[in-house]
Amino acid sequence: MSEARLRIAGAVLALIGLGIATYLTIVHYDGGDPLCLAGGHGCATVQESDYAEMAGLPVPVIGLFGYLTVLLAAALPGDAGRILGLFAAVIGFGFSLYLTYLELFVIDAICQWCVGSAVVMTLTFVVALTRALRFTGASPNPPGQVPAAD
Amino acid sequence: MASRKQEKEQRRQERLEAEQAAAGEQRRKKLLTVVGATVLAALLVLVVLIVVNQSEDEGGGDASSINADIPVIGVLDSLDQQGLAVGDPAAKVTISEFGDLQCPVCKQFSETVVPALLAKSGPVGAGDAQLDFQQFVIIGPESEVAARAALAASEQDRYWQFIEIFYANQGTENSGYVTDEFLTGVAEAAGVEDIDAWNTSRADPKWDAVLAQTQSDASKAGFTGTPSVLVSGPGGEKIVGAVPDPDAIAKAVDEVS
Repeated sequence: MSEARLRIAGAVLALIGLGIATYLTIVHYDGGDPLCLAGGHGCATVQESDYAEMAGLPVPVIGLFGYLTVLLAAALPGDAGRILGLFAAVIGFGFSLYLTYLELFVIDAICQWCVGSAVVMTLTFVVALTRALRFTGASPNPPGQVPAAD
Repeated sequence: MASRKQEKEQRRQERLEAEQAAAGEQRRKKLLTVVGATVLAALLVLVVLIVVNQSEDEGGGDASSINADIPVIGVLDSLDQQGLAVGDPAAKVTISEFGDLQCPVCKQFSETVVPALLAKSGPVGAGDAQLDFQQFVIIGPESEVAARAALAASEQDRYWQFIEIFYANQGTENSGYVTDEFLTGVAEAAGVEDIDAWNTSRADPKWDAVLAQTQSDASKAGFTGTPSVLVSGPGGEKIVGAVPDPDAIAKAVDEVS
């Protein structure tokens, strides 16, 4: 896959993630409960838990910053974009794993929105890692042109 | 001549290949260094984030300093208490909280929703409903030990005081803080007068049936998490969401009255 396609994939994933994080941020400040499919109430439990905020920041707001960084990395050409994307994706992916662990073993509730975000972040990690491993050190290429990989 | 030219061309080719190999090697080294450093830096940030978060969650679960200075205790002392229920025994409606003593969301519920229900303006304080707490053990073995200790306190009508003081001193789930010393501290702070009787009671296998019944009731109601609330009265039963607000519960009380 060309770097241009990886950057587009990264941007699309970031936009989906931004959508989820924006919805959960609005719900957080609105004081309501997130809508859960099939009438489940795991989202409310997670949103109301001790872990809904970290260092005073609501988790969805942390997600907003994370996905904005991923979007910025997708927009940046060259090594700056590749490294920033990898940096954000490793933190995002690890943080998603940690949050999923908290849901499963500490809070005892699963939020479908959080699972959705974790899936998006996992795909983002795969895209960012591929971009960094295949193209770091190569010169930025105009979209459509495939740079020489090792 | 041709052979000299060929040799020259071959040497040029070899030099080019060597340069390309060196450039490739250099690029691989740069890639490994940059990607490795990025991943390491990101992992470091991640670890710091998680450690900061974990340290925020610590605290509580300290058997040597049980905090019993919580306003809701005064309210509980002023209300009727029988078995697992607090409130007017003549009330036709029962609000059942299915909770786990180790659950942090239940702790929040006990600190925000329970006081509102017990207040004079709330359904329990106003005499419209009783509130009971069903020991829905889901987090781990320590939850069951805690549940038996709370149930034993109910025999001395200090069930709700035990629950509220337990929550006020709750530690990290399954961290080993639910010791005999911790539970005794909570029982004493809750006003359990006969500690020997309480100790005998909490070891009694009679609570097995109570805990099994709660699991069965929760399963019938479709509860999978804590806290969950069931409101029942002459008008039927109503399941309120996982983290209901006092107004939603008061509304459900009106609906089943």
